[in-house]
Amino acid sequence: MTNVIEVTGLTKRFGRLIAVDDVSFVVRSGEIFGLLGENGAGKTTTIEILEGFQKPDQGSATVLGVNPVHAHRHWRDRIGLVLQESDFDPLHTVNETLALFASFFTNPRDVTETLELVGLADRADERIGRLSGGQKRRIDVALGIIGHPDLLFLDEPTTGFDPVARREFWGVIEGLREQGTSIVLTTHYMEEAERLCDRLAIMSKGQIVAEGTSSALISALGATTIRFELPYGVDQSTLCTICKVNFAVRDNVAAVLLGDDVQDVLMRLLTWSQSTGQTLVGLEVVRPTLNDVFLGATGAEP
Amino acid sequence: MRFIRLSLAQALYNLRAYLRSARTVVLGVVMPVGLLVILSWVFAHQGQIAVAAGYQMSAIAFYAGGLTAYGLMLGTFTGVMVAVVGAREAGWLKRFRAAPVPPGSYLAGQILFNVLISLGLVVVMMTIATLVYDLHLRAAALSAIFAYTLLGVFCFTAVALAITRLITTPEMGSSVGPFVAITLSFTSGVFLPPDLMPHWLVDVSNYLPLEPLAQSMQSVLASSAGTGYQYRTFVVLGVWGVVSFVVARLSFKWQPLRR
Repeated sequence: MTNVIEVTGLTKRFGRLIAVDDVSFVVRSGEIFGLLGENGAGKTTTIEILEGFQKPDQGSATVLGVNPVHAHRHWRDRIGLVLQESDFDPLHTVNETLALFASFFTNPRDVTETLELVGLADRADERIGRLSGGQKRRIDVALGIIGHPDLLFLDEPTTGFDPVARREFWGVIEGLREQGTSIVLTTHYMEEAERLCDRLAIMSKGQIVAEGTSSALISALGATTIRFELPYGVDQSTLCTICKVNFAVRDNVAAVLLGDDVQDVLMRLLTWSQSTGQTLVGLEVVRPTLNDVFLGATGAEP
Repeated sequence: MRFIRLSLAQALYNLRAYLRSARTVVLGVVMPVGLLVILSWVFAHQGQIAVAAGYQMSAIAFYAGGLTAYGLMLGTFTGVMVAVVGAREAGWLKRFRAAPVPPGSYLAGQILFNVLISLGLVVVMMTIATLVYDLHLRAAALSAIFAYTLLGVFCFTAVALAITRLITTPEMGSSVGPFVAITLSFTSGVFLPPDLMPHWLVDVSNYLPLEPLAQSMQSVLASSAGTGYQYRTFVVLGVWGVVSFVVARLSFKWQPLRR
């Protein structure tokens, strides 16, 4: 399998801030690669270097076999962009806007076909000003794929979507992968990354702090998570003493990641609960999620 | 060939939105025409307007020429600023830059679009001046007006591009544009004869783009023979245009300023 992106030791500074700090990764052909991180973690700067908008200070990036700094027309013909925030001239129809953008490419997708792919076929002749926010985001995706790109950059594509729209959008992205498009995705949503990404990297303060498939990252963390609401009048340290493990407490929810010792800890917890009459509201014994990986790797909520 | 096709496609795309927007049509055509009607009516009894000591021209030549220059500036300067800042902040320019197209075709599309709407303005203004106010429009004068129109679009597009780096929102552009145009119009002999203005103000205006353009259009409409091209107008607007393009080239941003 070939690599569509190879990044080695990439570094970018803005004044004294190191936005991207010695980052290396590869994206394989045909996969969805996720770049996760908080705001300011360096995701967008990394993507902008890969798109050719920024020059790295050190390191190298090869995208579709070319250094993006020396991007030429045939290279641009093969990449697509879906931007984090965008808007469109409200006075044009969906069709007119897509037709203009399609005319920029050598081998564009058919406009109607593209609109069907993103679920906007029935709004083709509507003026963009009359569309909802979610529908405008679909135009964004349509513009990203209208040139038949081999590689698509999606920068937080579902921010502002309602849950239904987000699920539909995931279907669109999976459809593109089936057609062989390689995709680089940045996102805030762990559920989205877990569902879509074949492999992912978590960035924090400009560096990659974890990388791999989401299931590998999750199993590396531990087998099981125990979670429940911290009972009234019980503090974190008491809990840790009783159960002999370190519970983390956030928003009044106590949680711990466990390996083989899960039965022992549960037993101690339940025995304590029964003997003191404390109820354990919302008790869960679950597989950890990507969110737990993210918290562990960055020490913050996404 | 491809460059021309790309530029033309973008110019027509802009033109379509322009024709669909009441705001831009009012600003670009209805307002200059309305001013022509009002001012010609107010000053109709005068017949002649004293432009400078010992130099008079007909009121209609004065207003048709001056208001065409003013409308051209208002439309092009404001229009380019609003369009470019709007496209930049909406992410369209970033997307455009990443597409397999020559970046210059965006600029060419903007210039072409503004040439089209400015020529439209010229046609409307000259038609009304001729049919309603008995302006004697000579073919040579009309060709000179067209030449000045191209020069004006070139200059005001460049000046607008040069300051887009300072304009963070399209709303800001749509207030800065008319403000500058109206301010300049008072010192450039568009509404009032320059004779009524302080001399130092007229001297300064001579080196700003609107005054030479307005004055050239007025005098060619007033004169009775030839094209009477004014060397000074080409120099002043040319220098403003070229310097502005250099500034734009150095400061232009394809990505949104706001993050």
